[in-house]
Amino acid sequence: MLPANIIEFNDCPIYQKDNLILSHVSFKIKPGEFVYLIGKVGSGKTSLIKTINAQIPLKEGDAEVAGYKLSQLKRKDIAYLRRKIGIVFQDFQLLNDRNIFNNLDFVLKATGWKNKMDIEKRIKEVLEKVELDYKGYKMPHQLSGGEQQRVVIARALLNEPEIILADEPTGNLDPGTSESIIKTLMDISNGGRAVIMATHNYTLLKKFHARTLKCESGRLSEVNDDQAIDLDF
Amino acid sequence: MRGKDPGFTRRRITSSYFSSIISISLVLFMVGLTGLLLLNARTLSDYVKESLNISVILKENTREVDIRRLQKNLDASDWVKSTKYVSKEEAAADLQEELGEDFLNFLGYNPLLATIDVYLYAAYANPDSISFIESSLMEYSDVKEVYYHESLVFLINENIRKISISILIFSLFLFVAALTLINNTIRLTIYSKRFIINTMQLVGATRSFIRKPFLKRSAYHGIVAALLANIFIGGIVYIIQNEYPQVMKLQDLKELIFLSVVIILFGIVLNYFSTFFAVSKYLRMEEDDLFY
Repeated sequence: MLPANIIEFNDCPIYQKDNLILSHVSFKIKPGEFVYLIGKVGSGKTSLIKTINAQIPLKEGDAEVAGYKLSQLKRKDIAYLRRKIGIVFQDFQLLNDRNIFNNLDFVLKATGWKNKMDIEKRIKEVLEKVELDYKGYKMPHQLSGGEQQRVVIARALLNEPEIILADEPTGNLDPGTSESIIKTLMDISNGGRAVIMATHNYTLLKKFHARTLKCESGRLSEVNDDQAIDLDF
Repeated sequence: MRGKDPGFTRRRITSSYFSSIISISLVLFMVGLTGLLLLNARTLSDYVKESLNISVILKENTREVDIRRLQKNLDASDWVKSTKYVSKEEAAADLQEELGEDFLNFLGYNPLLATIDVYLYAAYANPDSISFIESSLMEYSDVKEVYYHESLVFLINENIRKISISILIFSLFLFVAALTLINNTIRLTIYSKRFIINTMQLVGATRSFIRKPFLKRSAYHGIVAALLANIFIGGIVYIIQNEYPQVMKLQDLKELIFLSVVIILFGIVLNYFSTFFAVSKYLRMEEDDLFY
């Protein structure tokens, strides 16, 4: 039996405030799938990711993310939906008033982790995964953009969420690090998690093939050949 | 790794908390001073009112034993704070001293009558009660006349009433100012954390989980600020007691303790609720609105 969809949008309009950004958005993503989300700047990639994350409310249409119906989402459910999603933000969204370790510590405690040893072990694991295990004591502003980006990826991995949303995670990274990040994300998706990655980095896109969705002219569509991707950039 | 924030950042965060605690403690100090003023205004007005006296002038040839009985009766009544018997002779001596003339020799007899000076409790030292007391005193057969400064009683009561209202309005105004100032200080502190609050929501923290550390810290800051304010007030009380002992007496200690407890509670409650509302505001806000 095929696994059920972890994300499913059926004919949904995506609004940013009162502006319609994307219309008739329909797509399905299964657990373990790796999906690129491409499109020009301002084409609605981030808006779509924010809708999946319930940062932007879905006003109409039928969409389901990790078992939550977005249009019927209650305010108190939002936190629980977000626990099923690990997000790699374009602008990092780290807690600037505390060091890296405490940033990750906050997420674990907020999601119900109590045991100090378990917490320290888990933080060490995810920091090792992004090769930052020796920088836990640093404040976010003391890290380079690339390092902060890796911290954000580590944070998204903490609770082994069912979905990883990555909004241009390689935007601030050198090619070498970018590749290792993509590999990490692909490993994660091979482990059974759905990964959606918005990106402009077509070199990576070509190198690491995966299903691709494209935002263009207010619509979201499936891209099936490299040619279309090339033309877009 | 835990808790090893670089010293500079920690110092900066601590100093921002420090200045907010200081400003809150100064406001609480202001509130405390007003409380002190209110408490002492009552003591002072009671003191003035209780120094008013009614002279109960006794009939000529009233027997000593009857006078004593009357004085005892008066002492036993609810409205009397104290009484003082002034005999004919004492009255004459007082008057002689006042006039500086030996009027007894001049007249050949003592025309003065024995009196009982009655000092009332503050609550009864107003024109209405006094006129009622006067008529009840007149019912005693040995009482010839009851005398008091009617206009003075009226004037004192009227002035105390006016001053009390002014102090009360002033205190209310100060109270509102305190509320606004503390609320603003806290809102600013929370405002500076609005993006952090938003991020906390994005990583799946529930609202109450986000609120909790803010509330805990604000209650703690409230206590520290209130304790500081109490120390300042203690200093002021100490200075006043040393310089003007007649204004404030040590017997007010109970009231002072009450006042300091009220200040601590005020500090905690106000800090707590201001923080609660400020954090909730940013929890409700959409990310885009945080930039304005």
